[in-house]
Amino acid sequence: MDMLQTSIDGLMIGSTYALLGLSFALVFGIMRRINLAFGACLLFGASLAIYLEPILGWGAWGLFFVTIVGVALASAYVERLCFAPHSKRHGAVTAMIASFAVWMQLDEISSQLLPQRTHAFQGIEVPNLWWGEVFVRGDQLLHFVIALVSILVLYLLLYKTRLGLLIRATADSPETAHLLGARVPWLGFIIFLLAGILGGLAAFMILSADGYVTPLFGLWSTFKGLIAMIIGGVGSLTGAVIGGLILGLVETHAGAVLGAEFRDMVTFGLVFLVLIIRPGGLMGVKIYRTDSLAQERV
Amino acid sequence: MLEVRNLVKHFGGVRAVDGLDFKIQQGEVFGLIGPNGSGKSTTVNLVCGVFAPTDGEILLDGIDLGAIAPHNRVDAGVARTFQNIRLFSELTVWQNLWVAWRDQPGQEQGWVSNWFGRSPARRQEIQKLLEFSGLGDKADHLAGNLAFGEQRRLELARAMASKPKLILLDEPAAGMNSAEIKDLCQRVLAMKEMGMTVLLVEHVMELVMNVTDRITVLNFGKPIAQGTPIEIQNNKLVQEAYFGSAENAHGGVS
Repeated sequence: MDMLQTSIDGLMIGSTYALLGLSFALVFGIMRRINLAFGACLLFGASLAIYLEPILGWGAWGLFFVTIVGVALASAYVERLCFAPHSKRHGAVTAMIASFAVWMQLDEISSQLLPQRTHAFQGIEVPNLWWGEVFVRGDQLLHFVIALVSILVLYLLLYKTRLGLLIRATADSPETAHLLGARVPWLGFIIFLLAGILGGLAAFMILSADGYVTPLFGLWSTFKGLIAMIIGGVGSLTGAVIGGLILGLVETHAGAVLGAEFRDMVTFGLVFLVLIIRPGGLMGVKIYRTDSLAQERV
Repeated sequence: MLEVRNLVKHFGGVRAVDGLDFKIQQGEVFGLIGPNGSGKSTTVNLVCGVFAPTDGEILLDGIDLGAIAPHNRVDAGVARTFQNIRLFSELTVWQNLWVAWRDQPGQEQGWVSNWFGRSPARRQEIQKLLEFSGLGDKADHLAGNLAFGEQRRLELARAMASKPKLILLDEPAAGMNSAEIKDLCQRVLAMKEMGMTVLLVEHVMELVMNVTDRITVLNFGKPIAQGTPIEIQNNKLVQEAYFGSAENAHGGVS
């Protein structure tokens, strides 16, 4: 029974990691870029939401919307400032370093918005469920459903619409897509906006489940997102979802069996193993092709 | 319809295109030939916007293409194929066409079918284009899995999918065997019959001489001759550019 309970907890947490991983995989899989300021964007959105909460007075739903909008705006800002000017082949490293600078900037803005170390972060009230012996937190179940729905919407957007087709064509060859009439610079902006929305959803879920936010949240979420993407397969969207779920399951099981202090050790051990046995991640069979594409990107 | 005036492109000290003038009439197949490095592909890249010209003008129906961003040149009416095949290999044949697709002017569909692409009339149009390209039964195959000749035909179809006023064919016969070249000749002539205007850059003389109406010959970025295929074949300057002159036939630079 404990195993089942732990697994359910792990899936609930894993679904939010899956969203973090998806944000990374969107940007890396399509743009071949790593956004180091990702966590800082999440922290900025959450800080903005807490800062505006007493002014707006919309409660938990206010936090929900402001977090998402805040993260999406920050993500769009990072794209315009760091990635759009360095979209050419040789710009990959420059853009990454520029995003590092913006990370510092967003961190600073966040700590100006939230001067104290810890701030309470209210969640949406949902009654908890008892299902026989198994306990499910109501808000986490809601988060799980929201995560599933957003993954489904992203899938439909990418695979069933023309916008998604243009995005996938751009991932395949940006230069050719550009010459065939796709607005590649504009598509890059959309990708970052989408990644921001997913990241904002994840930030709200994680923070409201924890009940508080600290300035360390930014770096923490960058780690979780990167790890989910690395386990699942670099640049693979499906892989990022699976990687996130695995990460959640492994963490909670390691915490339950070995104790909380071993949790991160087991996680990093898993990343280590994956990098040795399958350097491309579980779904990343095309790692070498991905690599060559990164070189080709213009 | 396409008018190129005093086109110049320098790469550092290299004068890839050095004062090129030509005009293409509506419905014409226009050939651009010349030895390797004579500036043919650069000209194509200038017209479709890969590079910006150092000097000169490119006018399409009187509109200056230089002022139009590359991704908007498709809407302005320019489409191209690539010397080295550049399909989206992870997408299906159908999707490759749909990426480049523009509705026939006057028959544009609403935004819903633009988003989802599901309008039956449009599906029929795309299917028709696939049949024309001999890919009718391959709509759902991944482009990367097609045979070489099929990939070339798909590139041609993809260029036609945007309903261009002008199609730029950049060495479409490269790597083809003689049967495939004959097939390509038929296709280009069929395109001409459908009223399309084509700028053909090619080395393979069998194709150029059979399908073009007029030809401009480039050497070192400059036009050295212009005329019908027959006139070009008998032009002394052209023969020299390709084969060297009689004086340095022995021991000259090959």
